[in-house]
Amino acid sequence: MLKILGRSSSSNVQKVVWLCGELEIPFERIDIGGPFGGNDQPEYLSLNPNGVVPTIDDEGFILWESNSIVRYLAEKHARGTEYWPNDIQKRASAHRWMDWALSILAPRHVPVFQGLIRTPEGDRDMGRISASRDLWAQANKVMDGWLAKNEYLSGENFGVGDIPASPFTYRWFNLPIDKEDFPHLKRWHQEICERPAFQKHVIEIGLQ
Amino acid sequence: MLQLKGRVNSSNVMKALWVLDEIGLEYDREDVGGQFGKNTETPYLALNPNGRIPTIVDGDLVLWESNSIVRYLASKHSMGKLCPSDPGARARCEMWMDWQLTELVQNMVPVFHGLIRKSAEERNTREIEAARDTWSQKWAILNKHLKRNEYVGGANFTMADIPIGPIAYRWYELPIEREEYPDLYRWYKKLCDRSAFKKHIMTGLS
Repeated sequence: MLKILGRSSSSNVQKVVWLCGELEIPFERIDIGGPFGGNDQPEYLSLNPNGVVPTIDDEGFILWESNSIVRYLAEKHARGTEYWPNDIQKRASAHRWMDWALSILAPRHVPVFQGLIRTPEGDRDMGRISASRDLWAQANKVMDGWLAKNEYLSGENFGVGDIPASPFTYRWFNLPIDKEDFPHLKRWHQEICERPAFQKHVIEIGLQ
Repeated sequence: MLQLKGRVNSSNVMKALWVLDEIGLEYDREDVGGQFGKNTETPYLALNPNGRIPTIVDGDLVLWESNSIVRYLASKHSMGKLCPSDPGARARCEMWMDWQLTELVQNMVPVFHGLIRKSAEERNTREIEAARDTWSQKWAILNKHLKRNEYVGGANFTMADIPIGPIAYRWYELPIEREEYPDLYRWYKKLCDRSAFKKHIMTGLS
């Protein structure tokens, strides 16, 4: 069976388990990282030298980098569906939003989320949190503009392009921060929130 | 013909130039970004709302995010070569491409911008040194991988080498302290033998 190594509160682990839920891929998840530790141990580092989560072990095939794991599992289990369209341009268009979530969205969200949720109140750098929130809002505006013209980040249908950005967007709407009105982002996020696998693997975990 | 928008001294534009040349595709390029501007103006933002470079226009597809551009062009024009046809081998390539975004590049930015694009007065030496140290730790990880693999993606040159190549050039050309990473260096020297790498990446630091 597919093994997923990584704690359930990591947004990067959530991408993978959520996809498995959507595609009904059986898996076993092992808690590693954060309060569980283990990610700095030789056994884990021999699989993933970066010491971050998740890593998968798919019958002996080892892979890390959550977005690459999502694409690998989608192709393996859902080729020809909206998760892995045969049209190469549709795939590229969806996958760009996965890279974008790595290059733009994640680094802007991290100081806000870590600052407000994983840092004791007295230790928070409110100036940095506020500056990052502003940059994060600009990134959300980019998604809002796209979603004004497209049902999903992936295009007409829900697909892997929607997965990396969604756990961050869930955090955006649930963190105690100022929020601009992004109606299309909100519409999209509400649709994502209706998906049972997202409810189980992201919403029920909450902010921790 | 395929259009590429972006100035040539951006490491992200270099990825697109390099893959286009390896494939042998013809393209039109327009200078955008940096001293050329345009990236914050309406016509460009209509193509790429992030105002970043590069962007390509290939028929009906407008595509941005440099690694997505590399993956798309390699899978469209070089399946079985730059883009491995085996899904597992391909996923391992994509993993290292993602790693360039998540682990490698963010530690390059303070060093490169600090030393090359900032004046001496603007320079924050402590920030540069701290980023260099972390950047070096990332190279140690790749060095270990290259001990057992000729190239980033395995036995052959693939799309996995492309995002990391321009970053390696900067590592070896910047006036900084460098730990010895023999397997990284061996791999880097092989890139330096490629004509497309010479043409688009080994062009000095600016």
